[in-house]
Amino acid sequence: MELNDRNLQTLTEYLQKTLSPDPAVRRPAEKFLESVEGNQNYPILLLTVLEKSQDEVIRVCAAVTFKNYIKRNWRVVEDELNKISDPDRTAIKANIVNLMLSSPEQIQKQLSDAISIIGREDFPQKWPDLLSEMVTRFQSGDFHVINGILRTAHSLFKRYRHEFKSNELWSEIKLVLDTFAQPLTELFKATIDLCQTHATDINALKVLFSSLALISKLFYSLNFQDLPEFFEDNMETWMTNFHNLLTLDNKLLQTDDEEEAGLLELLKSQICDNAALYAQKYDEEFQPYLPRFVTAIWNLLVTTGQEVKYDLLVSNAIQFLASVCERPHYKHLFEDQNVLTSICEKVIVPNMEFRSADEEAFEDNSEEYIIRDLEGSDIDTRRRAACDLVRGLCKFFEGPVTGIFSGYVNSMLTEYAKNPGVNWKHKDAAIYLVTSLASKAQTQKHGITQANELVNLSEFFVNHILVDLKSPNVNEFPVLKADAIKYVMTFRSQLPKEQLLEAVPLLVAHLQAESIVQHTYAAHALERLFTMRGANNATLITPTEMAPFTEQLLNNLFKSLAIPGSSENEYIMKAIMRSFSLLQEAIVPYIPTLIGQLTHKLLLVSKNPSKPHFNHYLFESLCLSIRITCKASPDTVDSFEEALFPVFTEILQNDVQEFVPYVFQVMSLLLEIHTSSIPSSYMALFPHLLQPALWERTGNIPPLVRLLQAYLEKGATTIASTAADKIPGLLGVFQKLIASKANDHQGFYLLNSIVEHMSPDSITQYRKQIFILLFQRLQSSKTTKFVKSFLVFINLYCVKYGAIALQEIFDGIQPKMFGMVVEKIIIPEVQKVSGQVEKKICAVGITKILTECPAFFLGIFFFSIPDDEHFIDIEDTPGYQTAFSQLAFAGKKEHDPIGDAVGNPKILLAQSLHKLSTACPGRVPSMLSTSLPAEALQFLQGYLQAATVQLV
Amino acid sequence: MPTENLSDKRMSKFKNKGKEPMKMRDRRIAECVELRKAHKVESIMKKRNISSVGDEPLSPADNTDNKQVISETIQEIVANVNGDCPEKQRQGCQAARKLLSRERNPPLKEIIEAGLLTRFVEFLGRNDDPTLQFEAAWSLTNVASGTSWHTQQVVEHGAVPAFIALLASPMLNISEQAVWALGNIAGDGPSYRDGLIDCGVIPALLARLTPDAPVGYLRNLTWTLSNLCRNKNPFPRFSAVQQMLPSIIQLLHHSDKSILSDACWAVSYLTDGPNERIDVVIKTGILPRLVELLGFEELTVVTPALRSIGNIVSGSDLQTQAAIDAGVLSALPQLMRHPKSSVQKEAAWAVSNIAAGPCQQIQQLITCGLLAPLVDLLRNGDFKTQREAVWAVTNYTSGGTVDQVVHLVKCGALEAILNLLQAKDTKTVLVILDAINNIFLAAEKLGEVDKLCLLVEEVGGLDRIEFLQNHENNAVYRAAQALIEKYFSEDGDDQCLTTEATDSNFVFGASDLQKRFDF
Repeated sequence: MELNDRNLQTLTEYLQKTLSPDPAVRRPAEKFLESVEGNQNYPILLLTVLEKSQDEVIRVCAAVTFKNYIKRNWRVVEDELNKISDPDRTAIKANIVNLMLSSPEQIQKQLSDAISIIGREDFPQKWPDLLSEMVTRFQSGDFHVINGILRTAHSLFKRYRHEFKSNELWSEIKLVLDTFAQPLTELFKATIDLCQTHATDINALKVLFSSLALISKLFYSLNFQDLPEFFEDNMETWMTNFHNLLTLDNKLLQTDDEEEAGLLELLKSQICDNAALYAQKYDEEFQPYLPRFVTAIWNLLVTTGQEVKYDLLVSNAIQFLASVCERPHYKHLFEDQNVLTSICEKVIVPNMEFRSADEEAFEDNSEEYIIRDLEGSDIDTRRRAACDLVRGLCKFFEGPVTGIFSGYVNSMLTEYAKNPGVNWKHKDAAIYLVTSLASKAQTQKHGITQANELVNLSEFFVNHILVDLKSPNVNEFPVLKADAIKYVMTFRSQLPKEQLLEAVPLLVAHLQAESIVQHTYAAHALERLFTMRGANNATLITPTEMAPFTEQLLNNLFKSLAIPGSSENEYIMKAIMRSFSLLQEAIVPYIPTLIGQLTHKLLLVSKNPSKPHFNHYLFESLCLSIRITCKASPDTVDSFEEALFPVFTEILQNDVQEFVPYVFQVMSLLLEIHTSSIPSSYMALFPHLLQPALWERTGNIPPLVRLLQAYLEKGATTIASTAADKIPGLLGVFQKLIASKANDHQGFYLLNSIVEHMSPDSITQYRKQIFILLFQRLQSSKTTKFVKSFLVFINLYCVKYGAIALQEIFDGIQPKMFGMVVEKIIIPEVQKVSGQVEKKICAVGITKILTECPAFFLGIFFFSIPDDEHFIDIEDTPGYQTAFSQLAFAGKKEHDPIGDAVGNPKILLAQSLHKLSTACPGRVPSMLSTSLPAEALQFLQGYLQAATVQLV
Repeated sequence: MPTENLSDKRMSKFKNKGKEPMKMRDRRIAECVELRKAHKVESIMKKRNISSVGDEPLSPADNTDNKQVISETIQEIVANVNGDCPEKQRQGCQAARKLLSRERNPPLKEIIEAGLLTRFVEFLGRNDDPTLQFEAAWSLTNVASGTSWHTQQVVEHGAVPAFIALLASPMLNISEQAVWALGNIAGDGPSYRDGLIDCGVIPALLARLTPDAPVGYLRNLTWTLSNLCRNKNPFPRFSAVQQMLPSIIQLLHHSDKSILSDACWAVSYLTDGPNERIDVVIKTGILPRLVELLGFEELTVVTPALRSIGNIVSGSDLQTQAAIDAGVLSALPQLMRHPKSSVQKEAAWAVSNIAAGPCQQIQQLITCGLLAPLVDLLRNGDFKTQREAVWAVTNYTSGGTVDQVVHLVKCGALEAILNLLQAKDTKTVLVILDAINNIFLAAEKLGEVDKLCLLVEEVGGLDRIEFLQNHENNAVYRAAQALIEKYFSEDGDDQCLTTEATDSNFVFGASDLQKRFDF
């Protein structure tokens, strides 16, 4: 690609086309550019367009394209083609800094990014003059240029904040420090001087303060790994100036914007971070400066307003105080009662206040409010920072701090009492203060688990919380109501049970509140209370205690789903699920009505599933309704099917992917309840379940396998008689599953069910193929998981069809195959089988092989019985069916396919040996005594005694 | 899990955990690039200038930074020194010595460039004129105390053999001056150090180590010996170490604190190396004395003694055990509570290496009551100390038995390290995550994972681990994520991996059976 006008023209045209909204124009242009980007000179052409084009849009487009090109291609990967020619690389590095600095800001940012990508690879070794080139520009006096340099430096150096220490990294930092630290310090001082010279020129100040903010960021990066010698020597300069900047205020720099942080705030935030870094890591050296910073930052907090734009600054500043106040040697800075009082009064209390921004969120953006308030995604908020400071102060001053705050709480409550309508925010702050003061340890599952002993939570509940809960007008002061509900939820482990029981009906009433936050909190609080455990691991609140409120609870829960904004409220749905689970039989009378509502809800959400948690709890609630009702009267299963199948059919027909696995699980649950033969409605669906498309989605596999197992359990005969042509398809599913290392166990579940439930003659013709498939898989990819499942299967087969039949089918595929499998697979691997039922199946199967195939017993091998003993000794391992933890309340019981046939495998072994010994008297005892170790013989003797038989 | 890989990589850096014993000391060796100011105590000791003695007032010319004045003074010195008059030579030499003894900016370079070194070295051999010898030796000593380049000039002018010869001088002050100069040359680095050894400096020095030698002289001698033990890449050769060790051991029993300090530093240099080096020191039976020195009040003694012990316990299990048998564990708690944070840090470092040992040694940490001070350091130590203490916890939890880990958690270590997840140091954060993972593994064995989850959440640890999932550093965020996924995610939707679907329409039937099955 030559660097000529024609090529420039072509490139410009294609760049133009990449901006087209029409994909038919845009895509080919993008493709074309990618196809030519490997050519030499391509990046140079791009930079030329960027520099020379008259069209501003094209210039920006070239800059973006260039940056993306660098991002994709600059890195040289070993053993791969170097995608940028060396001359191009050299040319780029020679020109890019200049080009960046002479470009307008929008382009400058792109090129600055490109420089840092190149720098990440080439700096410092392959780009040795970059730094000195940058430093020279500090002299330029042009702050547009200087800020460009600073920004680039920031993107080059910011990785020092998170990379691991290494010699390579530190050598680079050392090099940077040697070249950069002194000029940066000079620039810092000069910039501060200029701020004074231009103190009245707003435009100049803006540029200068963005320089200062960038310089402060660079300071952080350069000081992060360790305290560099240079900065230790120049600490006075930096810290004195940082301190001055913290205390500086300039009316001109104050912004009117309430939301967006201004330059001054950004700068001060960064300085707080810098001070916190030094306080944490370089305590010894920083000690002389620290008290000054504590004072400055504290003053800053006292004088900073409530606007959102100060949030980051305030939270950084409070976090600084919080981290300092818990260090033993700074204790003295805080211990004076006046200091403590002042921090509490002027820093903590104001930042706990409910601000208008919070009020807006409470009303208009309740979802986010709840996430922040309930789930603790409030890391950077003022309230969180203030709470952390309370906790930090409590480390040394719990008594005094509690004392001070008690005074505040009382006065705020008094204020509130004087005029609740106007002063309700005072009570909110009081509750928040009590909560943050009392909480020493907290978990989602239990709420507060350790409380400050100096705060009487129960008394506060009685005096201040209960009033709001009991208030006849649930819609008055929703914030206070929400606070009260949250109080119950938070301190549920601390409050006595009587108080919780007193709260329950009140919470039920609050489900009716219009405020989303309020009724959501009520639902959540109830849900949490219902999961609390009392004596004997039972629930703390019993169904009997709930009896008087059951109807109201269920009514209100469902009604609250109708309140605007809460139609898919996951907290409510979870509370419904939890209520069902707690109340058990008590819900049966209401189910006919409720199932209609749940089904209706399901129909609605299936149009556009958007709240996964809501949907999950909805299906859980359905499962609970079915299980609880059918436990008492299995016949009602038909009415559930009647209600649910229309919706299910719609879901399956429209292939609502999120819901299909749930539907299969609920159907399994329903089908398993049937006691007689399989209903025709299920049989009609059977062929569809075998469709490959369904099995392509991994999420469908476990529930579908489970459903097919239910079909086999209930309908094996029906399938054999009316759908025999579908058996190959069913086996096809098995084949597909065992081909995959991830799903082979699922294939075996299916196969085991087939062997267990299908009559022998219905599968005779497929048996050989089944085994060949298994052998092929064993040959090609023998994983432990596969071998374990394989062993369970062949032993199950042996139990069902007998050892001789097993041997015949093996040897029919290949002569002496059975012997090989016994020797190479069964004996060495059988101990790996885990699971109670699995081990039992293997024990019984092997006993049969041992005693039914005399050839083995008498000649080829006598395998060790202690192995047998090992898995007869039953361990507590996961069950026969690996549970897929989808719907907890659709869970399947563990199933033992040979439970009826064989109770105790040890007795079976004894009896079988006895039988064998009577067939050929004298041979068995002698063989046993010569080939078994004493320990094994002892075990065997025990089994024989237990079975009351003797070997002859 | 990613943390496991990382821990493998790192564990190989701790003594017996790794597969390659050669890597054991990586931690100290790897830290040779420094951003910080060199440690003050050590840098002062490396080379020493002799400042003017108080009773000898300096002339204004000696104390000025005025280039003109200095240059004139030097011209005068050159004239004097190069002349033949002994009196003038002495005067010139003395003037030079005074210039070189200024505390601020002694004109080393100017003196060298004036070509004076040749004459000074020549004067060293003037046994007929002890004063001249003394002044020349002093001047050269101070030049050698400068940068490597300055030292190089002294050596290249042939001063080494001359100084070694001077060691035997009957004039004690001249011999002492030679000791000092040689100390400065040895302190420059391994190559001059070995050069001195080749020239037979050790026997010449040891010959002066007599019971009647004054304390001041012995101090210098000890310091020079310590510099001959100093520096790695390469270490001083074994034969030289063997020659010096008996005398160093003897000096370790001296009553003078300054001699003790330098003798301890010598031991610390000798033990800062591979296990064979440590063995040589242990075999002298000096461990009980080193432990005794740990109990001294003087920081100048405690620091190098602790460094030596720290080096020894970073050796093999047997070497560590030798230190334990000598009683080091009873001395450490006090040092972990030492008012100086640098001592706390070194003590924590030693503990971290003992904790990297087998569980029997971990048990001894418990028995000797080191866990309480360790947890204190995690809570209240300065950052560098906390970092070492964190390593101790991670090593402990990866090598300790389940019971030992439980015990550590009960002592409050878990809460303390969780608090440190906010540390502004990526490595420390990762090391903590590793410790948390180890603790969870122990909890798994006990079936107490749920309880541990609650504990972690209660003390605010869960929030911090969750927060780390946004960390810029990949290793950190992966480790945090792995912990969250494994222990803290409620509904694990951990369904099967995606399968490579064979192109199947699920037609049942095996493909052609061409091969024999052979398992």
